[in-house]
Amino acid sequence: MSAYLGQIYAIVWKDLLLELRTRERVVAMGAFAVLSAVLFNYSIDRTAVRPQDIGAGLIWMTIVFGGLLGVGRTFHLESEDGAFRGVLMSPVPKDAIFLGKTLSNFVLLYVVSLLIVAVFMLFFGMEIGTSPAVLGLVLALGTLGFVALGTLFAAVSSGTRMGETLLPILLFPVLLPMIVAGAGATERLLAGRPVSEVVGNIRMLAAFVLMAVAAGAVLFRFVVED
Amino acid sequence: MTGKGIRSTGTALALLGLVGMLLVYWLSFFWVSTDRLQGVSQRIFYIHVPAAWTCFLAFGIAALTSGMYLWLRDERLDRAAVCAAEGGMVFGTIMLTTGPLWGAIAWNTYWNWEPRLILTLLLWFIFLGYFMVRGSTENPEKGKRFAAVVAIVGALDIPLIHLSVIWFPQFLHPQPVVVKPEGPTLDGDMLTVLLTSLAVFTTLFFGLFLLRYALETLRAEVRARERAATA
Repeated sequence: MSAYLGQIYAIVWKDLLLELRTRERVVAMGAFAVLSAVLFNYSIDRTAVRPQDIGAGLIWMTIVFGGLLGVGRTFHLESEDGAFRGVLMSPVPKDAIFLGKTLSNFVLLYVVSLLIVAVFMLFFGMEIGTSPAVLGLVLALGTLGFVALGTLFAAVSSGTRMGETLLPILLFPVLLPMIVAGAGATERLLAGRPVSEVVGNIRMLAAFVLMAVAAGAVLFRFVVED
Repeated sequence: MTGKGIRSTGTALALLGLVGMLLVYWLSFFWVSTDRLQGVSQRIFYIHVPAAWTCFLAFGIAALTSGMYLWLRDERLDRAAVCAAEGGMVFGTIMLTTGPLWGAIAWNTYWNWEPRLILTLLLWFIFLGYFMVRGSTENPEKGKRFAAVVAIVGALDIPLIHLSVIWFPQFLHPQPVVVKPEGPTLDGDMLTVLLTSLAVFTTLFFGLFLLRYALETLRAEVRARERAATA
């Protein structure tokens, strides 16, 4: 068991170290988030609708689109010089590779999602609500479920001619539970509603994460086999 | 069953289904009594509901055979999956076009964010992804595996999608009138037409499915012979 965790850790560490040195994906996703918030500001009529009222939805759509940007490139760097073949040939089970990739993507997207929330607070004068820790948990579950399916489908789409164009078509239909439960919980938490109102949403998000991680871990080997 | 047996069974079932379809149309236009509240527009029910049932059946078969394909790697399972998925797309499209037509009259709107509508629409798109993945890989073996993965994730996600969409309190869609604990509440002649139509749609689907399967088998054979000839 500890050997297995060590293998996952090795993959996570390798990916995060690469990201730390290039900073490509986090900078791209972060810049995307801030610029989206700027455009959102001008895309809504602020005399008709208050940004706070639709803030939760905008936050989650920004996470989805920004996440797509980062997750789609999961296998991009390693596709050069056959580096990913090396990863696959290493004596690490395929599901450990998947879990490692998912965790490193999760760390990146979670940081970005916190940034997105902070940017929306700042730009639109939104309040954080009374339970920021629960909001953090909701964001963590949502982004974890997203990157699990995102990593699996990124492996699929990067093996096709269409590449990243295919990713949203595969990913969006299955993301609905995450958006419904995540945006719903965020909206209530930002409005300062009690935590008891979002317990159902958190359960739904947890079920989604469980399904996404388990499905990815089991199915990943069929995607990367040669 | 031999290739020829599959073909002739498919032809027989498809012909039976097509003739049955004429009967369904005749029954639903001329025989069954008109709905007291909804009037003539309710007659689309006899096409819409069987199409929905067939679509779910077909996608269910596609997801099941996809899973078995990844496990057993039998080409026939993949062929069955793609043929069932095509049937699901066809009947799903029928459901998604007849629904709004009826809705335009009954609800005064073509579209409504109702759980069953959005579930079906997403299912349709999941299988659109299934075909796009299949069609855009250099290596067909890879495409088969990728498509199976898409179908399985879709099948696993459907219960969650269903649970999360029913949270939205919009229930314009009519509630079940046949399958419910206290028994059907549909009038006798309407139930007869509906059950006839269900049988006809299912027969037609399996007929088309077998024909498609036979075609896919022939294509595989042609490819194998081409390879043998060039080798």
